Amino acid sequence: MKKNKCKASSSTEKEFVFEFKAATHKCVLKVPLQFPVEENINDLHGRLMLLHKIPCYIENELKTSLSNFIERETTLDYDREAELALQRLTTGDADVNQLTNAWTRSYVETTLEHAWPEEPSWDEDFADVYHELIHSPASDTLLNLEHNYFVSISELISERDMEIKKLQERQATEMDKVMHELGNTLSDQDVNAVASQHFDAQQVLENKWASELKQVTGIQKQEYQEWVIKLHQDLQKSNNSSKINEEIKVQSSQLSEPADSGSRMFEAQPLLEESFTIHLGAQLKTMHNLRLVRADVLDFCKHRRHGSSGTKLRRLQTALSLYSSSLCGLVLLVDNRVNSYSGIKRDFATVAKECTDFHFPCLEEQLDEVQQVVLYARAQRSSKQKEQPEVPRNGNDDKSKNVERNPSNIIPGEFYISRHSNLSEVHVVFHLCVDDNVRSGNITARDPAIMGLRNILKVCCSHDITTVTVPLLLVHDMSEEMTIPWCLKRAELVFKCVKGFMMEMASWDGGISRTVQFLVPKSISEEMFYQLSNMLPQIFRVSSTLTLTSKH
Amino acid sequence: MRPLKDAQLGAFTFFASALPHDVCGSNGLPLTPNSIKILGRFQILKTVTHPRLCQYVDITRGKHERLIVVAEHYESSLSDFQKQGKTVCPDKVLQVAFEVLEGLEFINKHGMVHRALTAHNVLMDSEVKMSYVDFPIGYPSYLAPEVIAQGSFHLSDSHDEAPLPSGPKTDVWSLGVLLFELCAGRRLLQNSDISERLKFILTLGCMDDIVTVLAEEHGCLDTIKELPENVLELLRKCLTFLPSKRPTPAELLCDPVFNDVSCFYTPFQKPVGLFSSSLRCAHLELPEDISDLCKDDDEDYLSERAIDEVYHLWCLAGGDLEKELTNKEIIQSKPPICTLPNFVLEDGESFGQGRDRSFLLDDTTVTLSLCQLSNRLKDVAGEAYYPLLEDEQSSLPQSNSSNELLATVTLPLIIRERDTEYQLIRIILFDRLLKAYPYKKILMWKEARVDIPPLIRGLAWAALLNIEGDIQAKYDGIDKDTPIPTDRQIEVDIPRCHQYDELLSSPQGHAKFRRVLKAWVVSHPDLVYWQGLDSLCAPFLYLNFNNEALAYACMSAFIPKYLYNFFLKDNSHVIQEYLTVFSQMIAFHDPELSNHLNEIGFIPDLYAIPWFLTMFTHVFPLHKIFHLWDTLLLGNSSFPFCIGVAILQQLRDRLLANGFNECILLFSDLPEIDIERCVRESINLFCWTPKSATYRQHAQPPKTAADNGFSKPATYYTSDYQDMPKTDLSREALALCDLKAEVSPRISAEDLIDLCELSLAGPTKRSKAGKPKIIAVDIRTVEDFSRGHISGSVNISFSTAFSPDGELLQCPTAGILQNYRGRVIVVISHAMKSAAMFAAHLVKVNFPRVCILDGGINKLKPTGLLTVPSPQI
Repeated sequence: MKKNKCKASSSTEKEFVFEFKAATHKCVLKVPLQFPVEENINDLHGRLMLLHKIPCYIENELKTSLSNFIERETTLDYDREAELALQRLTTGDADVNQLTNAWTRSYVETTLEHAWPEEPSWDEDFADVYHELIHSPASDTLLNLEHNYFVSISELISERDMEIKKLQERQATEMDKVMHELGNTLSDQDVNAVASQHFDAQQVLENKWASELKQVTGIQKQEYQEWVIKLHQDLQKSNNSSKINEEIKVQSSQLSEPADSGSRMFEAQPLLEESFTIHLGAQLKTMHNLRLVRADVLDFCKHRRHGSSGTKLRRLQTALSLYSSSLCGLVLLVDNRVNSYSGIKRDFATVAKECTDFHFPCLEEQLDEVQQVVLYARAQRSSKQKEQPEVPRNGNDDKSKNVERNPSNIIPGEFYISRHSNLSEVHVVFHLCVDDNVRSGNITARDPAIMGLRNILKVCCSHDITTVTVPLLLVHDMSEEMTIPWCLKRAELVFKCVKGFMMEMASWDGGISRTVQFLVPKSISEEMFYQLSNMLPQIFRVSSTLTLTSKH
Repeated sequence: MRPLKDAQLGAFTFFASALPHDVCGSNGLPLTPNSIKILGRFQILKTVTHPRLCQYVDITRGKHERLIVVAEHYESSLSDFQKQGKTVCPDKVLQVAFEVLEGLEFINKHGMVHRALTAHNVLMDSEVKMSYVDFPIGYPSYLAPEVIAQGSFHLSDSHDEAPLPSGPKTDVWSLGVLLFELCAGRRLLQNSDISERLKFILTLGCMDDIVTVLAEEHGCLDTIKELPENVLELLRKCLTFLPSKRPTPAELLCDPVFNDVSCFYTPFQKPVGLFSSSLRCAHLELPEDISDLCKDDDEDYLSERAIDEVYHLWCLAGGDLEKELTNKEIIQSKPPICTLPNFVLEDGESFGQGRDRSFLLDDTTVTLSLCQLSNRLKDVAGEAYYPLLEDEQSSLPQSNSSNELLATVTLPLIIRERDTEYQLIRIILFDRLLKAYPYKKILMWKEARVDIPPLIRGLAWAALLNIEGDIQAKYDGIDKDTPIPTDRQIEVDIPRCHQYDELLSSPQGHAKFRRVLKAWVVSHPDLVYWQGLDSLCAPFLYLNFNNEALAYACMSAFIPKYLYNFFLKDNSHVIQEYLTVFSQMIAFHDPELSNHLNEIGFIPDLYAIPWFLTMFTHVFPLHKIFHLWDTLLLGNSSFPFCIGVAILQQLRDRLLANGFNECILLFSDLPEIDIERCVRESINLFCWTPKSATYRQHAQPPKTAADNGFSKPATYYTSDYQDMPKTDLSREALALCDLKAEVSPRISAEDLIDLCELSLAGPTKRSKAGKPKIIAVDIRTVEDFSRGHISGSVNISFSTAFSPDGELLQCPTAGILQNYRGRVIVVISHAMKSAAMFAAHLVKVNFPRVCILDGGINKLKPTGLLTVPSPQI
């Protein structure tokens, strides 16, 4: 009658014996019970009455004796277990020091009372100060200041580009001359010497500029932070806000020199975009916003000069929400190396350098840190795997080999995160590692890239990233093999997977409304875009506008 | 729950540990977050009520696995004595010990232990109360040796993974330490670090006299020596090193050391619940002088209300737990951008993220200020707290605010449910009505028609479903453990049933689901488990989470009332008849929609089975079901038809605009429905529906025995058609195929007589306003008509009204019909067939509310109600 669960070694079976008289008969009821008793005594009692057809006049008697029995035996069990544990200590089977250290650790790690005091972190203080200021009248000044710093950096950058260009032109003419003389007065060796000389000169120039830029950004960052702290102190000291307001105004008038139209100004291109409001969930529905956008991925990052419509507003929006709980994220698809030397990584790094990051370390430093963490994670993993060697890894063999070859590389599906305050619409960038597999037509929902997307959404949940931009086709650029059927198939897969993940998210965070932007490369055709935008409402349930308008 | 009295509400918060990255449970579904597990396990604590224990009120889940617990709270605690640094007199020590032990014994009986007994947990008011927390971690100085020896585990791994639960005796040790501190007037083991302290406690095992050793260690040997013998004895008993020799709280309570104290305390008796076999008023004692009861005038009436009510009102009055805790700086969160990880592996494990200090446990309890609430309620007159139920005229108390309240009644339900004062009045009223249940059942029905306060909904529904008797004993008597073949299906369905809800998705919720469903299946051998029963169970379980017996009883009462025989093994005839009547109802109320749906072949079988089989619980979220069922429970078994039609009408435009495929798609995931509008419209539809139109052969047969004296009021709308006495004029059963052939519903001669007010016995009781307007259309030939007809009926013979292709002809009689468009049109003829055809034609040209007289004119002939028109002059 009892489910034979032998899950814990400590569970034992004991027999409950109950004697009662029915008329002249003496009856004995014997019930084997599993200890510790997990079920409700009332239920057990009811079942015994029913099963053994026990007369109702001994109902209460049975109940008391049953509960007494269980109570007694449970106490005995507790005592036995407890004394066993004590015995282990006296006999030396368990180490007292180890035990007490474990206790201490768990106290220190979990309770505030026993935790180590927290060292004040400058970053967080600055975060508080900035968050307060940006939500005050001083925000305008802050933005103007930031913008002016940006202008000076971009001037520097254009100067650099000019100088490099000049150098290259000069070197080209020189090389032409040399080539002309080749065979006459000069040998191949001479040409090579010139070439290497040119290369060196270029290197020197670039390094010079790089260090100068670095210096300038360093100075800017320091100035900026000092100024912010000072402004905050002033604000706190005097509650006389009018005076401060004047000060702010003076500051802003000083700083807002006319922003001349630079050559590097971002030209707003006609974007294609379409927005949807959807409902997810079977019974309880949560509302989310989806947007399909045809744009370059870096358009979300590029800092633009004031003047073009909405730029400043967008900038303000990003600044306001920087330390809030509604962040914006972007998924960038990268290869397996943590650096910024090639491809989209280099382009992104260029954009990230166009403006000083006043809050977070610069991209290079962040990547260095990530590299350290990757190595640490690998070490952790391998030590864990050594502990459990029998874990089946049939499918992962080639992957782990790859990791063994170079532990500092990351594998598809993994991603690292960088934080930025200087990008136009994005605070957090997820660098998701993908390989050439994403270009093939036959990836499934189990593909590492898709699993990476899921983990990204999970991080979004746990860290209040409410807007996230995802490359819909899992590529940033189109190539020949990406035909129309390929695009449709890929878009369907990503739509469906993201829908599944979003439904899953509702159970993680209780259904907070979020925005997901699906990004398609600029190079796809308009027809393709509309095909995709037609596909979206077929996969997601678009909330109808009809219910709002139809009123009887 | 006990009244608030001079207690306060306290709140504290902690974090459940995050699950290890992405692991799936054995059933392949994602694991339940720990916070939900804790939330589910916590619920049982709300039921633990004892004068020596602080009442737990609520637990809520915040963002990122944060949990906030609300409990009864007192500002002063035993640690106040310690702060003063004085010793406490031995008598007081004994009192404290006795009261704490009483509390401990009570929770042990409920299968719980405290584990974290400490000075500031023993809170005081006029009497000492103790709050207990079931954290698997204690306070280092108070830990019993065996607890230390068994090893530690992390805070919120929850009990599930705890290596070994502790027995009740660990608390006795902690109590011993606590009492020792009280006697010595100083705290023990405060100076050394944690591991030293723990080692010291472990070494106590080698000592003979622990009390003396402790006293020596802390240099208070003299104080301890001076203690009276019984206190010393108690200390020794508590501080026994070996658990087997240490007494349990229950044993200690009976110990002779308490001989002097125990006589002051009467043992606690659990108040008798609403549903039990014993008499609720058995222990009621009125004082000799009744005026003693109302001595002081300026009493704080609010504090006489139960704690959970006060908390509920506090929330309504704008209380926000998270804000309170943030203001007291208990919740300090870093900006999320500062806590992002650096790197995440493919399986979701993240690295490079520092441990956030704000996730650490801070066990400070914050007192919730009731100022805002009492301000809000300061205008509520004292009488409002004690409404008189005998006065049938005014259910709402007559006071200054009564006009305001009357105005509130007209506001939308959503707003009423958020109105603090209104809810206070309603809760008090329902609370009193329930206390008088079942005597005040009639008044209960009346008030439920206005609305049901959410806090009391569980019990109010039980009252509306006529639950009575000792339901707990009945439920206990059902075998819920023995495996049955349905187990597999139940196991599959539960993790898919209303899982967005925290309670129902917790493991506790699943276990309760399983037990209630199994109990129902086992106790109804003639019925079977159909998928959908789980959804049907969900609202009852949610409302009565801590009272499975009541959930079971409600479900068992609900199913025969609204879903009679739906859960037969072969239920096709019941469902088919139901759906046919439903499609007749669509045609009756909305002919245009009905024509369209029939045209595209979108029949109710394709979408409405889950609606009715689960009474809409499968298609709506819980909060909508509550509002829907508040009304459904007041109506009879034909009310669901009206709800179905109301839902269709809300989607009318889209249904009319779309073809078959789009309609299927639309209903596969039902769009948002405005539930208040749906309720309003279904009531309206219900009023327009003649009772006999929804007659079903397979409906619940009339109850054999009449209810006892307190039966619900048999009004026109609430009583079932099946419950009416059956006469010659009632409807007769119809074969399913015949029923299917008819587009419009039939009504009985009885209904016709009632609606046309042709009664033999003079004017009917019911006022005219409540009735649908009706027009009888006699389609016999003129000659037959002139030989005798119902007074007030119009004669339109079949042949003159319609052309052969079904078009309504332009003739004077058709004009009459047009004039009466909108009224209930009853078609009367000799032969049912022609009447049905006539009705079908009318529906075809979009005439609403067309029905047929069952049995035709012949039914009426014996009644003598037919009149012959006086010859026209």
